[in-house]
Amino acid sequence: MRVALAEDGALFREGLLMLLQAAGHEVVAVAAGGDELLALLAGTPCDVAVLDIRMPPEPDGGLVTAERIREKWPNMGLLFLSHYAESHYLMKILDIGTDAIGYRLKEKVGSVEVLTDTLTRIADGEIVIEPVLAKRLVERPRGEKKNEVASLSERELDVLKLMAEGRSNGGIAGQLYVTPKAVEKHIASIFAKLGLHTDETESHRRVLAVLTYLRSQRDGD
Amino acid sequence: MRLEPAPPGDVPAAPTAAPSAPAVAEARRRREREQWQGRRRLERQLHDGAALRASALVLQLGLFRHRVPETEHELRAAIGILQDELHAVLQELRDVAGQIYPPLLDEAGLGPALRELAERLDAPLRVHDDGARFGAAAEGAVYFALADALAADPGSPREVAVAGSAGELVVTATGASPGLGELLRDRARPLGGTVREGVCDVSAPPDETVGTGTIVARIPCE
Repeated sequence: MRVALAEDGALFREGLLMLLQAAGHEVVAVAAGGDELLALLAGTPCDVAVLDIRMPPEPDGGLVTAERIREKWPNMGLLFLSHYAESHYLMKILDIGTDAIGYRLKEKVGSVEVLTDTLTRIADGEIVIEPVLAKRLVERPRGEKKNEVASLSERELDVLKLMAEGRSNGGIAGQLYVTPKAVEKHIASIFAKLGLHTDETESHRRVLAVLTYLRSQRDGD
Repeated sequence: MRLEPAPPGDVPAAPTAAPSAPAVAEARRRREREQWQGRRRLERQLHDGAALRASALVLQLGLFRHRVPETEHELRAAIGILQDELHAVLQELRDVAGQIYPPLLDEAGLGPALRELAERLDAPLRVHDDGARFGAAAEGAVYFALADALAADPGSPREVAVAGSAGELVVTATGASPGLGELLRDRARPLGGTVREGVCDVSAPPDETVGTGTIVARIPCE
């Protein structure tokens, strides 16, 4: 896969570059900030751009840069890395796009397998969300959604968490060691209990429905 | 940002008059503001220093693990455990940073920071704001007063409106238990702020005190 990378911390940037190369990816651009990355990308677009959120242009250069990238190259995948996993930024990220986009903690992409899995899912058009954050969203639904989420069985909660991470049916089945058929059944039950429509066939649309549902009691956003 | 140099000791002494009360208050406010800015700097230092180093270490371990032959299961597993430990270290650093000065407060202001806080505490707080910013000191004072209140009782206050104009942050909390007034006063006073309790309408004259459980804090900002 062709990957570009922008991160202002030199140590982390170098480490990620080496891990990307070890994983067999072609790193076509490496920059310490968003503007520099855009200049480098002009001649060599890539499959996925990896962006630190908190980098130049300050304060959140990763977001600004992502918007510009989406404008110029709508098909380029975007992976945001941050030292913090916050729903505030998740919502900002989903405002930028709801496909081929991901948000993960910096220290959670520290293996060749996880890094490649994350990049591949994004390149395939999926949403990838840091599991810690997905878990918090499911465990702390806003306001009146609490009762409905509380009505889910333990197994259904496991499935909902994996859905909030952006996992496909196959991905959920693999994580829980059950058949995709069983996953479909759980999802139908979850959507019925939460009052959501199940006709969302594309998994990233479904992730969005779940996230919007969990966050819908927020005021002002 | 640089700290102001200490005043030199050998300045020709002006006729010794006690500093005026407003000058003393102003000096106190300046010190207090500097303290808040210092806290914000500390958080950034943690983020750019220790946290980044630890995250980079996770990547280096990942690279190391990748180079270990797949048959070396135990060694590979041990490296994975070290990476998990570093994640725990980073989690603790994040907790500490949040108590020094929440990064989201620094980056996005009171509204987003209070919403994130409510989510983490599972508090039913509703926050209204228009995204305006009021400086590290005023925002920090209000945030930490509300964080203490919510930690003691997640149901108090129920609603917070963040507004302001002309160099002043105005925070209106409703559905608050009595303790919040005190918490806000402790944080607001050193900055020259005022707190009124039981006032329903911000624009009402000071003596029209109605609506218990409503608290209005006004804090001047840089």
